[in-house]
Amino acid sequence: MNASQPPHPTPGPSEHALAVTRVSDTQWQAVDGDLVVGRADASRRPDGRLFVSVDAWYDTARDRLAATVLADLPAPLHTVADEADHDAVAAWQRLGFTPVRRERTYVVPTDPHTTGLAPARPPAGVTIVPAGRAQEGPLRDLDRVVRDEVGAGAGWPTMPAEVLPRPAGTTVVDPSKYVVAQQDDRYLGLLRLAPVTRRPRIGLIAVRAEAHRRGIARALLAHTLGSLHHAGTASAWAEADETNTAAIALLEGVGARHVGSILELVRR
Amino acid sequence: MTKATGAIEVEGTVTECLRNATFKVKLQNGHVVLAHISGKIRKNYIKILPEDRVLVELSPYDLTRGRIRYRYR
Repeated sequence: MNASQPPHPTPGPSEHALAVTRVSDTQWQAVDGDLVVGRADASRRPDGRLFVSVDAWYDTARDRLAATVLADLPAPLHTVADEADHDAVAAWQRLGFTPVRRERTYVVPTDPHTTGLAPARPPAGVTIVPAGRAQEGPLRDLDRVVRDEVGAGAGWPTMPAEVLPRPAGTTVVDPSKYVVAQQDDRYLGLLRLAPVTRRPRIGLIAVRAEAHRRGIARALLAHTLGSLHHAGTASAWAEADETNTAAIALLEGVGARHVGSILELVRR
Repeated sequence: MTKATGAIEVEGTVTECLRNATFKVKLQNGHVVLAHISGKIRKNYIKILPEDRVLVELSPYDLTRGRIRYRYR
């Protein structure tokens, strides 16, 4: 190595031209000389929305990548950014993206002494069916009903859980992950728990509209958190749209801690 | 035409979650880097916690910085 050279190249375009190329239908890369300095990716959610991401080691590469992606893909385009990542949010906004949704991330304790859920029992006549015991047919029926009730068309646009890949028309991917509230032979509510390593994620809590305000969501949560605590898991993740006051009240009412927010941005 | 090369990828363990959506990651060689989450991980709502094992792509311009590209289960 020449002693006058810096130990690492300086961030920014070198004497080589920065070239951005589309390497597949959904992927782009920025190359500076013989070095890949950035990547972009697009993926379509099950509800049809197109989400993009751009990562680069310096601003020029990022801007060139983003410009190419925006020129190649039809609007509207969506993306997500951590609200705490001010640089990323500002970069997306410079490109014409505007925030359309803010989702709070919560860490939910499982200890009944902290959640206050120890005495929570299902309403009279309602039983909780543990994960893995729900009947698949009625579970799929319930899932369909609650999705219709929240006005879902092609999907459930405000639920990040919808990013799960699945066959077309299928919304319940793995029935064993669902805890269900049952009355007589009818399912009233469900909770999906993703057994993510070390801190599981509560992906969905939903109750039929006619059974709202009976404490069913709270009973589902009490059962699930109690089971996790019993198994030695101290906390779980959950997310709630900031406009969903019922979900926020439910989570904060059991001592869930708001640890950050994810912004969804769109360029129309 | 020469084939473009990607940045160096190293496995490491997250030791601390910092403000501004960054993480301290201790690499297998003992070095500690500051890393962001890749857009792809963010898009898929994958959460990163201390003690998670991750794959980090190091910046070719600053080997103390990186980007988390994968979280091992």
